[in-house]
Amino acid sequence: MEISSNTQQDNKKVVATCPACGLLCDDMSLEIKQSGIKVLNTNCTKSIQFFEQPLGEISPKINGQPVTLQQAISHAATLLKASKKPLLAGLSSDVQGFRAVYSLAQKTNGHLQHLNSESMARNMAVLQSTGWQTTTLTEVKNRADVLVCIGTDIVSHNTRFFERFIWLSQDSSAMFTDASKREVIYIGENLNTQAGVSPDSKQPTSINCSQSDLPEILAVLRALIAGKKLKVQTVAGIKIGDLIAISDKLKQAKYAVLAWIAKDLDYAHAELTIQTITETVALLNSQTSRAAGLSLGGSDGDTSANNANTWLSGFSLKHSEIDYDATIWVNSFNAKNLPEKTVKSLIFLGNANTTFEQIPDVFIPIATPGLDCSGTLFRVDSAVVLPLKKVRQSNLPTLSKVISQIEVLLS
Amino acid sequence: MITHLKNGRIYCPVIGADGVIQDIYIRDGKIIAKPNASEKVSQTYDLTGKIVMAGAIDMHSHIGGGKVNIARMMLPEFQNTKLQETKLYSEPEAHICTPNCSHHATPNTADTGFRYIEMGYTAAFEPAILPINARQAHLEMADTPMIDKGGYAMLGNDDYFLRLLSRKADQKAINDYVAWTLHATQAIGIKVVNPGGISAFKFNQRRLNLDENHSYYQVTPRAILKSLSTAVQQLGIAKPLHVHCNNLGAAGNFQTTLDTMGASDGIPMHLTHIQFHSYGAEGDKKFSSAAAQISEALNRNKHITADVGQILFGQTVTASGDSMMQHLNAKHANPKKSVIMDIECDAGCGVVPFKYRDQNYVNALQWAIGLEIFLSVEDPWRIFLTTDHPNGAPFTSYPHLIRLLMDKSFRNEAFAKLNLDAQAMSNLTSLNREYSLYEIAILTRAGAAKLIGLNDRGHLGAGAAADITIYTDQPDRESMFAKPDYVFKDGELVVKNGVVIKVVWGKTHTAKPEFDIGVEQNLKQYFDKYHTIQLDNFKISNDEIASDGRGGVITHTQSN
Repeated sequence: MEISSNTQQDNKKVVATCPACGLLCDDMSLEIKQSGIKVLNTNCTKSIQFFEQPLGEISPKINGQPVTLQQAISHAATLLKASKKPLLAGLSSDVQGFRAVYSLAQKTNGHLQHLNSESMARNMAVLQSTGWQTTTLTEVKNRADVLVCIGTDIVSHNTRFFERFIWLSQDSSAMFTDASKREVIYIGENLNTQAGVSPDSKQPTSINCSQSDLPEILAVLRALIAGKKLKVQTVAGIKIGDLIAISDKLKQAKYAVLAWIAKDLDYAHAELTIQTITETVALLNSQTSRAAGLSLGGSDGDTSANNANTWLSGFSLKHSEIDYDATIWVNSFNAKNLPEKTVKSLIFLGNANTTFEQIPDVFIPIATPGLDCSGTLFRVDSAVVLPLKKVRQSNLPTLSKVISQIEVLLS
Repeated sequence: MITHLKNGRIYCPVIGADGVIQDIYIRDGKIIAKPNASEKVSQTYDLTGKIVMAGAIDMHSHIGGGKVNIARMMLPEFQNTKLQETKLYSEPEAHICTPNCSHHATPNTADTGFRYIEMGYTAAFEPAILPINARQAHLEMADTPMIDKGGYAMLGNDDYFLRLLSRKADQKAINDYVAWTLHATQAIGIKVVNPGGISAFKFNQRRLNLDENHSYYQVTPRAILKSLSTAVQQLGIAKPLHVHCNNLGAAGNFQTTLDTMGASDGIPMHLTHIQFHSYGAEGDKKFSSAAAQISEALNRNKHITADVGQILFGQTVTASGDSMMQHLNAKHANPKKSVIMDIECDAGCGVVPFKYRDQNYVNALQWAIGLEIFLSVEDPWRIFLTTDHPNGAPFTSYPHLIRLLMDKSFRNEAFAKLNLDAQAMSNLTSLNREYSLYEIAILTRAGAAKLIGLNDRGHLGAGAAADITIYTDQPDRESMFAKPDYVFKDGELVVKNGVVIKVVWGKTHTAKPEFDIGVEQNLKQYFDKYHTIQLDNFKISNDEIASDGRGGVITHTQSN
């Protein structure tokens, strides 16, 4: 349901979906006033930043000077015609926006690179090497009795993860487990474990180790679960006894969930760490209990872009360095996402609040899905796809409208 | 504006045309009996010597949604044409390549639409839409050009239903929920995959037999089948409950399949990819054909229909909702990788790549079992031509499969090249049947449309949508069915000589039985308490499917 302009004069309350992180919380209660939007039911800073962002500069610009939309589109098309190999990057948009970007890449021999492509590639490497056994958020909420957070506190990326899926509010409940009795385990470097404290003040288990020791520690945990006997007493400074205790908890769990965030595993060949996690899950499932992996994080439409690219092209999005002679940068959701400085031409189809480090050749402010226009977005677990609402009035064109007009001039 | 198709030889069981020479007229995308005297014929196609059938309908093909996209994502090697095997046409695993033929088991959405229409298929139905993932399935189908589409929503492993059943809720509550799900997911039928088994796997059960209790809900697959098939019948949904039986792929599973036929007490059910459920456990290798028992039971049980899910040799990937059985099958993965998912207290999925080899005993026998069933089931209106794309083989191998059915010597030559132990365990060469063109038109057109409830598709009678495929009559039926001369979609010529000449976007077929909207009160409470999205966001509107102007929803009226 979209709100119409005449209802916007009053203070209206709407329930909306938040695209600010991969969780896509769709219970956002918003107050829509002429002066702006107020988030009423959460203090998630990501949501507040997203919904309460002002309506920015809506005039397109060429070299920083205001022009009409048609002039900007025309100039963008001219630059693209001169380009042999454009880089379409950022790609922060929803499914509809990505479809348009994909079409433009097809027409211009362009290369697609999402701003989260490096971390996404870690997960894809595991998927394409061994596959995995995973779960989704509603299963976690209703089933998980042991949660292991590996190399991440989760909440830095997904603020409401524990509130919505682990400890639960009063109105919410888990079908198959006592939520308050869940076992939470952290393994990683100086993680903020506050969110893992249960409502009864039970402290989580925490294994504090440097990120660079994660591969070794997780390999040992996997070996313990496989029933291997180890002769050492410690690994990377962690007592084997502590890891045995975790291994026992995982084996005894009815539904253990091992969670990671690819962005937080930011070191060379971190994909191997993810693979160790997913192989540990597979090992547990081949024995006598159930377990599942859970890849979290996600934002800027990364899961949507990857899924849409996969069905449109047959391939997942890649992370690769290429030569290019022009950049098209898309940052629909977050004005702070900027491209690297470039000496080549830069076409910026972006959030209206963007403050530039480099004045682009063309800037066309576009509608932000979930705020200025409706849209569709994949949740981080890929299983759930949600509609986004238009919650405020603006005259900003959608990304797909701008791109279709550029395409007309290219043909 | 009238299009006139002149002198074609018509095969259309619905109008009783078995190779009769008859003209067809098209106006505004529909077939009409004859134009008015005042109407001008704007185009005439002389089809002398050509064979005319309605556009083919694939009633079970995994063309959209989460697990197909996972298969694409995890198997980039499939897209590398250099790595794709090309087979000599004389080999049993060969199929004729269309001009742009990819051997991809998981083509992208554009290729999916193009490959289908190039073979004269004008509609395909995604048989396993997870309700929670329906939006993705529709997004992918929206990006699939050329053909009409639709899907079956999966129920029977979702916790809402299992809670109702375990509490012995009355049938009306079940019916309302089933109808609500059809509306919410924009589907045309209801499917159940491994009844209760996907859910039981989440509770660490590793197998579930027809009369075995789900450990948590204490309900049996039989009770699930009875409840859902009754709902489908009472709601007047044309498409019978689409059933993927328990024990997929397991040696000895034929008994489960036979017993399943009795689980609905005579209420119509469709048993899908029945080849994968027709295995005995005889012989040295404890794996044998039970095609004779299954076919005999199909012949006897008039309330049961089935599609075969034929396997053909080569590389493919199996994408199933059956996480329980796919977890067991993952040890056979080739290449060695697999994805198993538990999904949203709604369902699950398992994606396992497979390479079927003619010299492998089990694979060779699977191939023979499928064909034995095709040739032993007497009523062509109750058996359907599928490979369970991509699970048995990519849909692009349909022309090859049709030749196997129509050409006994070709079939026997292929059989003679199989693993010898498998040959010794099959009676295939004793089956002399050769399908006729009329019967193929039933299997691939009229029967499929009737089963799904598409009254204006799958036939060439007046009032039908002008989805028409025209072939040159060739003794090599594979060549013939691989490359039609013309394909018309809703009256427009879209394929000429096997090549797409115009891109069109099909519609989405749905069924929307009436129900008591009061069911939403309970559903809302359930969603608010246990789910992680709002009930309203679960529902897919017509506008979402039509949003960009390409797509659109067609709602079919109910059978009663």
